[in-house]
Amino acid sequence: MRDLHSALDAAGPQAGRIEDLWWIFFWVCTAVFALVLIALLAAVLHRRREELRRVDGGERSLTRAVGGATAISAIILIGLLIASVSTGRAVLSQPPSDALTIEVVGHQWWWEINYEDPVPSRRFSTANEIHIPVGRPIRVKTRSTDVIHSFWVPSLHGKRDLIPGHPSETWLQADRAGVFRGPCAEFCGAQHANMHLLVVAEPPAAFEAWRQAQLQPAPPPATPLQQRGHTVFLSLPCPTCHTIAGTPAGGRIGPDLTHMASRRTLAAGTLPNTKGYLGGWILDPQTQKPGSKMPPVAMKSEDLEALLSYLESLR
Amino acid sequence: MRVAERYEPTVEADAEEARQLRETWKSRGGLIGWLGETDHKKIAGRYIVTAFVFFVLGGLEAALMRFQLARPESGLMGPDLYNQVFTMHGSTMMFLFAVPIMEAVAMYMVPLMIGARAMAFPRLNAYSWYCYVIGGGLLYGAFFLNVGPDTGWFSYVPLSGPEFAPGKRVDIWAQVVTFTELAALAAAVNQIATIFKYRAPGMSLSRMPLFVWSILVTAFMIIFAMPSVMAASSLLALDRLVATHFFNPAEGGDALLWQHLFWFFGHPEVYIIFIPALGMVSTIVAAFTRRKVFGYTAMVLSLVSTGFIGFGLWVHHMFATGLPQLGQSFFTAASMMIAIPSGVQIFCWIATLWSGRPRLAPPLLFVLGFVFIFVIGGLTGVMLASVPLDVQVHDTFFVVAHFHYVLIGGAVFPLLGAIFYWFPKMTGRLLSERLGKWSFWITFLGFNLTFFPMHILGLDGMPRRIYTYRAETGWGDLNLLATAGALVMALGLLLYLINVVSSWRHGAWAGDDPWGGEGLEWSVSSPPPDYNFQHLPTVRSRAPMWEQGPDQPVVVGLRSDRREVLVTRLIDAEPDHRETLPDHAMSPLAVAIATGVTFVGVIFTPWAFPIGIIITGIALIGWFWPRDESRELLEEQP
Amino acid sequence: MRPRPRIDVASLPTLAFGPRAPLWWGVASMLAIETTMFALLAVTYFYLRGNESLWPPAGDPPVGPATAGLFLMLLSVPPMIMVHRESGKGHRLKVMRFWLIVSMAIGLLALGFRIAEFGELPFRWDHHAYGSIVWAILGMHGIHLLVSGGENLLFVALLFKGPVEEKHLLDLRLNAMYWYFVVAWGIVTYALIYLDPGVLRS
Repeated sequence: MRDLHSALDAAGPQAGRIEDLWWIFFWVCTAVFALVLIALLAAVLHRRREELRRVDGGERSLTRAVGGATAISAIILIGLLIASVSTGRAVLSQPPSDALTIEVVGHQWWWEINYEDPVPSRRFSTANEIHIPVGRPIRVKTRSTDVIHSFWVPSLHGKRDLIPGHPSETWLQADRAGVFRGPCAEFCGAQHANMHLLVVAEPPAAFEAWRQAQLQPAPPPATPLQQRGHTVFLSLPCPTCHTIAGTPAGGRIGPDLTHMASRRTLAAGTLPNTKGYLGGWILDPQTQKPGSKMPPVAMKSEDLEALLSYLESLR
Repeated sequence: MRVAERYEPTVEADAEEARQLRETWKSRGGLIGWLGETDHKKIAGRYIVTAFVFFVLGGLEAALMRFQLARPESGLMGPDLYNQVFTMHGSTMMFLFAVPIMEAVAMYMVPLMIGARAMAFPRLNAYSWYCYVIGGGLLYGAFFLNVGPDTGWFSYVPLSGPEFAPGKRVDIWAQVVTFTELAALAAAVNQIATIFKYRAPGMSLSRMPLFVWSILVTAFMIIFAMPSVMAASSLLALDRLVATHFFNPAEGGDALLWQHLFWFFGHPEVYIIFIPALGMVSTIVAAFTRRKVFGYTAMVLSLVSTGFIGFGLWVHHMFATGLPQLGQSFFTAASMMIAIPSGVQIFCWIATLWSGRPRLAPPLLFVLGFVFIFVIGGLTGVMLASVPLDVQVHDTFFVVAHFHYVLIGGAVFPLLGAIFYWFPKMTGRLLSERLGKWSFWITFLGFNLTFFPMHILGLDGMPRRIYTYRAETGWGDLNLLATAGALVMALGLLLYLINVVSSWRHGAWAGDDPWGGEGLEWSVSSPPPDYNFQHLPTVRSRAPMWEQGPDQPVVVGLRSDRREVLVTRLIDAEPDHRETLPDHAMSPLAVAIATGVTFVGVIFTPWAFPIGIIITGIALIGWFWPRDESRELLEEQP
Repeated sequence: MRPRPRIDVASLPTLAFGPRAPLWWGVASMLAIETTMFALLAVTYFYLRGNESLWPPAGDPPVGPATAGLFLMLLSVPPMIMVHRESGKGHRLKVMRFWLIVSMAIGLLALGFRIAEFGELPFRWDHHAYGSIVWAILGMHGIHLLVSGGENLLFVALLFKGPVEEKHLLDLRLNAMYWYFVVAWGIVTYALIYLDPGVLRS
């Protein structure tokens, strides 16, 4: 399914209000431009009478024209200002109290997502892919652990920078189902170009099913190959950086892998999540995403088979 | 003004005086003469050539980026090189081309337009150019050694801080900023003193050419804006070099402080680039409609108010950071209101064109192109002023489109027109009109093909500063179009360059006044003599060449055996006193080298700073210590 | 061709003071630049202060050497005014030399106390952003104390060695203007760093 990422294809109320404002500005500005261009061309091309320029009368009417144009410009600007401030109030207000709260934490170059809840056992973490129920407001708390990133899902809302030392908060809502792309929107170093998240908006029932699955620890390895893969995982450096809930792996430097097979992409939207790409990524991340923090890990091909089989079971 | 007896020259006395002036004002020869040059025209000539070299380098960097982005995942450059290239492109264009070229054109033309023999501080112009060259050399030396800065031309912390940008790349960037800002400040101080005190008798402030007004406003903006970026880059250098914590949130510092300090400079910076161009447009419109620009007072007030309001906009670069809404609304209002004085200027120019007799020579074509492109850029600027719109398109290619429309449309097009207009005065030769028209149309077409699609790309979710993108995004076609447009634009600019190079040697002779211009620069030869004016003019009109007759007095009595200039009063330009200026001097080079050692040394060790201050101090003593030439000595001596 | 009328400026003076002189505008512009720098550092101080509830976060800067330095800076102004006056009226070398030496000596003492001030600070520049901004402000002002003091010294040397030109009378006045600027910013710096914690506490 192609993911959506246009500010002019709003899928939620915030982006919708902004899109409406865009069209107001667009048409007003186009009209102003057209008028200026017509005036310019007329000024250059209009036929002049051969007599000497009338000094007083001509200058007076020009003064009125310039004054009038200036006054009209000011009025138009004030109108646009009012439209802008009123839209701003609507889209940048406080979220309703029934909002689902998630925390988005920026890392070089991936997104940590923490689903919050007053009850600790109902919290869970994931990475790079956010699921939300259609029609419900989502409070997004933002912070960064290293440099400035920016959380932006054009189909749903404008962006909010993730600034170390300045945690912030915004909220958005999807009014229809779909998969929406969110590229990082503040230059954050070598792999800024490959730091995307996906927002999957789905019907409330599907969302609830997803959420229940995410709350579970990782399914234990079922087949012998998967068991071998589980052992390989724990014996390699992987647990230093990655967590798989329900196993001894508890690293918090890289994305949480507990349900990694349920995600559509790898490496923060850089690669499709298929066995081939996953194998290539593990063996040599630097080719796909040069500069990323994940080191290449060498292993025997049978071990890789087993590992991939295990990782693919983590739905 | 006191008018003495009727002037009764003899041809011989006149010629003898001219001969003496030539002797007194001529440059010394050889390498030492070149290094110690203080003639504003010669230094400005070097400045203009240097700035255009950087323009070409910046353009090549742009071409590299366009080739990379033309196709998805093109693989031409890896992320490290690409990040250096876009940083170099922005830094080159903003610090090494746009501001210096405007200062340089002003350095050449302002004294001629105000009827002065020189600028107030001749050595300061030389110092300015040397600092500029050191800064540019430092940046490109680093780039060619693969330690070019790679955190963007505005280098946000913490990415550019000690933890996430190890090595010397950002330290080099910070000091390049220091050199280029010193150069701009030096030029600005010189302009203020010159414009205030060296105007020809009778050229009151209300008779000053609009270009000179624009340079005066720009100079004041430089004085109050540049210190902010110097502060920012110095604090960053301190964080990186000696572990201060200005921008380190873990120890009470603040990442947003950088943004405030940088953009408090950064927004006025674009007006520093743009306002001289407005002055150029006024000059061209007057000359090529054969009437004075309509609404002089409104034009001056627009320039001044743009300068002031420009200092109140900077937070619009920070709308995505989550600052309080009420504060943001103030900056929205200011960012929209600044469109009004710009609008007034455009309306006045249209009124001038309407009531004049336009002649569609290349300078006027570039002005028409300016109006078209700049108005689009200004209108997208009004869009960006709106917080809800901005939070969608901030940091996307929409913004890239906007600022190229206002910078290329608003500054480069007028500049190309002004160079066409003043090239004959500077070199004595005319540029080819035919080639000029071709270069205009091709550049205009290429520019729009390159940058208009970027508005759409930004709205479609394409962020800035990405070295690659995937085919599924659908951004490939418009990117390819933009790259094609860039090639067309490059061709247009190449034609312009060819015109300049070939006309320099083989162009038709221009004579004193090929265009029938209104300003005093057209009353002297092309190129002007070293001393600009044998007899300083006097002025009683805003368009002296059009409205003054042969009975307009000239100034006599300045000495021709030393470089003597006339100082006049601030408001009404009544003659006040006389000054003698230095001729050849090596001290600007010495002080610039000392400055260079200080700030390049600081990249590597903090001790360079105290050592540097000492050697700079010694070099400055050389600058200021009295020299051997005979001067007015006090009667009482020690 | 009828000859043009002329304005003869040969008898105009070759020296002027104050805003009549281009160099005055040069120095005034430079002071505007430095004022902007100081103002930005002061704004930075308040900006960083706004993030903290405890300010200074660890230890007050000691007020002793700074107060002595401030007092000395203020004391150095009247002699400088005497130089300023004498340059206009009789411009007697002995008188200008004397008062310049007095002002310079007091100013160099003030610089000495500034150096002592650094030694007495209970925090370094790399202890918290507070340390960074205090060291930066005191350092920036200290550099100006040094440079202006150095310029005073050079003028003393010139007045002893010569040749003294007419235009050096203007230079002396502009040197005085720079010194007043340094003292004025000394007062502001003192208030910012030493009066602020006290005000906060009360």
